[in-house]
Amino acid sequence: MEYAFLLDMSRCIGCEACVVACKTGNELPIGTQYIDLIEHTSGTYPDLQGGFQNHRCYHCIDASCVAVCPTGALFKEDGLTRLNSSACSGCGYCVQSCPYGIPKMENGRATKCDGCASTVAGGELPWCVQTCPAQALKYDQRDLILAEAHERVAAIKGRYPNAQVYGETQAGGLGLILVLPDDPEKLDIPADPPPVPVVTDVWKNVVQPVSMGATALAAIGAGVLGIIARRNHMAELRDIEEKELAGAIAGDSDAEEVQP
Amino acid sequence: MTKLMHRDPVEHDPDKEILRYRRGQRIVHAVMASSFLILLITGLALVWSPMAFIAAGGWSRYLHRIAAVGFMSVPFLYLLTDRAGAKEVLVDSFKYDKDDVAWFRYMYRYAIGRTADMPPQGRLNAGQKLHHSAVIVFSAVIVLSGLVLWWFKADLSVTTLSWTAIIHDLAMLALTLLLVGHVFFTYVYTAWSSMGTGYVSKEDMEMEHSKWVEEIEHDATDVQETEVVRTEDD
Repeated sequence: MEYAFLLDMSRCIGCEACVVACKTGNELPIGTQYIDLIEHTSGTYPDLQGGFQNHRCYHCIDASCVAVCPTGALFKEDGLTRLNSSACSGCGYCVQSCPYGIPKMENGRATKCDGCASTVAGGELPWCVQTCPAQALKYDQRDLILAEAHERVAAIKGRYPNAQVYGETQAGGLGLILVLPDDPEKLDIPADPPPVPVVTDVWKNVVQPVSMGATALAAIGAGVLGIIARRNHMAELRDIEEKELAGAIAGDSDAEEVQP
Repeated sequence: MTKLMHRDPVEHDPDKEILRYRRGQRIVHAVMASSFLILLITGLALVWSPMAFIAAGGWSRYLHRIAAVGFMSVPFLYLLTDRAGAKEVLVDSFKYDKDDVAWFRYMYRYAIGRTADMPPQGRLNAGQKLHHSAVIVFSAVIVLSGLVLWWFKADLSVTTLSWTAIIHDLAMLALTLLLVGHVFFTYVYTAWSSMGTGYVSKEDMEMEHSKWVEEIEHDATDVQETEVVRTEDD
């Protein structure tokens, strides 16, 4: 079953309670945080509009970070992108590949929101959802979250004509469904993030398995043929030795015959 | 230093054994082989999930880079320890004669352990020449792509990163297949000693590298004749 977060940006008041709850709940070290609240102001004085970008993992269903991760430290579970930090090799490929610029390297390993996997497994809601005072955050089954997102957009359309649901289709669908009061570009969110490149898919799902298979086949083939070929070569050497020995014996008997 | 590398304390019967690889060449081979195996294992940890535990925590990345420095040092080490040998390998590996072309036609015989009636070969047979030249080319490819992944990863888009990784992986596949072939022929023709003591059986060499044995014996005769002429002059 797929789960998802709802993040209603029309309700977010930028209080940073989610940032604090995430950091303390997940016991993140100094300098590490999974949520960044970025203030956005648009227009010209006095006609100004303000808002916040709640910058956090979008939990892409077709996650490029998962696609490039060589050790399986990043993986999909319940529709969310999890991170097993102890399996991370620190290669940084996820940092390069994420279209939203989410994973960061801390002490040689990748860090990012893992959807509070252990907290949810314990029957609790993710820390950010528990704490949000403005009901801007919610966590539930993805189809229920999507339905609520559409309801919320319909409810604010009068006030925000460009309001829309973000995350239904982007990157194969997101595990973070946003209710945006305006176009995503206004909050520096890519309207259509690039999908996982075909070449990445070829690298991970064709080149690497085929290379492994070819190496294994070559090793097995060489092992079997090696036994046969060595046997042939040893037989060849024995033949030569026998011929030489026969020649030497013939030489000796010729010499004996010559002697009076 | 080169003279030091050629010194060998063990006596070998020149009628039975021939020095095939000098000490400097054996050291270079050992550095190349050990660094390659470390690179293969630490690299495999990023490709084959049952070995991913080696990469967990990131220590194998450092080991991979240390081994990479060792691997990249091989040509410099070769020049330092045996300049003549390095030049010889480079020139011989890319030079084929009529006998080499004929050898390729009967290569299947050599692959199944039959050397009788193979066209006569020099110090390197045609297969070894092909192996050496392929190792040189694919090593250059893997070093260049590896350096890009090491130093310029942060400047690459995910597409360029994937292409670079594909080139790196395929070059490693080629080198690994070459290694399988290398071990295969070493086992079939009992050639372990060539990179151990450096000496090989003269009988084997007469079968597999007859032109080289003739060359050595011809050179030895020339030296003896020169010495005789000198003695007579004295």
